[in-house]
Amino acid sequence: MPSLRDSTAIVGIGYTEFSKNSGVSTLTLGLRAIMAALDDAGLALSDVDGLATFRVGDSVLPTILAQSLGLRDLHYYLDQFGGGSVSHAIVGQAALAVHAGIADTVVCYRALNARSEFRMGGTGRPLVDAVETQYQAPYGYFTPPQQYAMAAMAHMERFGTTQEQLGAVAVNQRANAVLNDRALMRVPMSLADYLASRWVVEPFKLFDCCLETDGAVALVITSAERARDLKQTPVLIRGASWGSGQTLYSNEQPDPTRTAAADMAPRLFEMAGVGCSDFDLLELYDCFTYSVLVQLEDYGFCKKGESGPFAETGALALSGSLPVNTHGGFLSEGYVHGLNHITEAVSQLRHDAGERQVPGAQLALTTAQPGYVSGSTSALVLRRDA
Amino acid sequence: MTEIDATPLPQPDRDSEPFWRALQAGNLRLQKCTACDTLRWPPRAICNRCADFDARWEQLSGRGVLVSWIRTHQVFAPAYRDKVPYVVVQVALAEQRDILMIGGWQSHRDPAPGEPVEARFVAATGEVGLLDWAPSE
Repeated sequence: MPSLRDSTAIVGIGYTEFSKNSGVSTLTLGLRAIMAALDDAGLALSDVDGLATFRVGDSVLPTILAQSLGLRDLHYYLDQFGGGSVSHAIVGQAALAVHAGIADTVVCYRALNARSEFRMGGTGRPLVDAVETQYQAPYGYFTPPQQYAMAAMAHMERFGTTQEQLGAVAVNQRANAVLNDRALMRVPMSLADYLASRWVVEPFKLFDCCLETDGAVALVITSAERARDLKQTPVLIRGASWGSGQTLYSNEQPDPTRTAAADMAPRLFEMAGVGCSDFDLLELYDCFTYSVLVQLEDYGFCKKGESGPFAETGALALSGSLPVNTHGGFLSEGYVHGLNHITEAVSQLRHDAGERQVPGAQLALTTAQPGYVSGSTSALVLRRDA
Repeated sequence: MTEIDATPLPQPDRDSEPFWRALQAGNLRLQKCTACDTLRWPPRAICNRCADFDARWEQLSGRGVLVSWIRTHQVFAPAYRDKVPYVVVQVALAEQRDILMIGGWQSHRDPAPGEPVEARFVAATGEVGLLDWAPSE
């Protein structure tokens, strides 16, 4: 079978409003985002023969959405268990399904009320159903900010990464969000504002942590060939990869300052036929500021331990050499669990990103949670169709 | 939806029950592969180095090296309202440095990455114990 490289494309993206309280069900959110994405693509419901999502017990079954939409004969579905680490894997899976001829048009979506109903940080959520939870929760260690803070502290101790360098990530993303009318956090923020924010889990301040958001995002995938007959400039899926991650069980990966993305990145870039210097922008999973720093290292954009100083140079700004999280990311746009990174990359590559457009963007990397905690990671390389 | 309204206790399963019982008795025990001597953490039926199923439970020194630590200020669940701020540490075991454990911290001073630490056993119930860490004496 020919390569997956450039054989499929993202042809439509859709959003609901982002808020702290949607006032509606995850079913309603998912339906709204899917219809918006189809409208953006210029496609009809009758064109859809696949649906894919991921959940952690916090959202409605995809088959219920299918039935609500009157889709009577799905050719492909995916209901992946998992959090942000699988956010890009579902798009890769959908691309595989289209590439293999199982489905013609697959809509990937994520719908969540992550502030008003099911907070990842604990409130309203039972203990995570993971086999390692029993070895952590009795010590009061059971939330993502704690898990990431542990790795960040190790990085700071070993490499001298500073609070101000974490803050540089947060400040940069806020500046991008100011230019994004979807973003929830649009009040400009200085480094002093960041430093003045309260501790959540040392070494994380409030503004090191992502938002908790109600909302949904959807995107439409079809073959590259078909994409060229549709309304929007196709954004080709140039590469897709799946990778491992760290857990208590992974004593093959005992260094908390290095993620499984470091193992995965070379094969992703090989599949895509690209190198670090080819990218016009990066949308890096930013559940916390530190995850941006560690991914800059592990995907090879700077050396191990040097991401903090790199962030302080201003390179990550829209006007910098390597714009990162052009929408503001989870830290300032909203937390839609990774899919809003993909849709932002699509907007940038279509040259539809308005005031925050990276001029002439052709190639983007967009990543899932890099593998701390979950035992898995995933990522995509996206390219504007020539 | 269920909230965490009490400090979670260990919930032993069919793999981990001997580990938690040993802690209750004041011992740190892990499985050691009978084929290649690799320690297993967390407890499980197979060696992740040599894929051998056989193992014996072995008592460890209770010594380790502090890898990282955090201090939680946010009340993530009602059970912790009176406990914040509290420190949690990550420790590499002396016998096998690639085994990282999460535990409580028993000292009035902050942990220092790289410092030697030793186990402190806390009997949580009559059946299970917890493993905290303290600076080596």
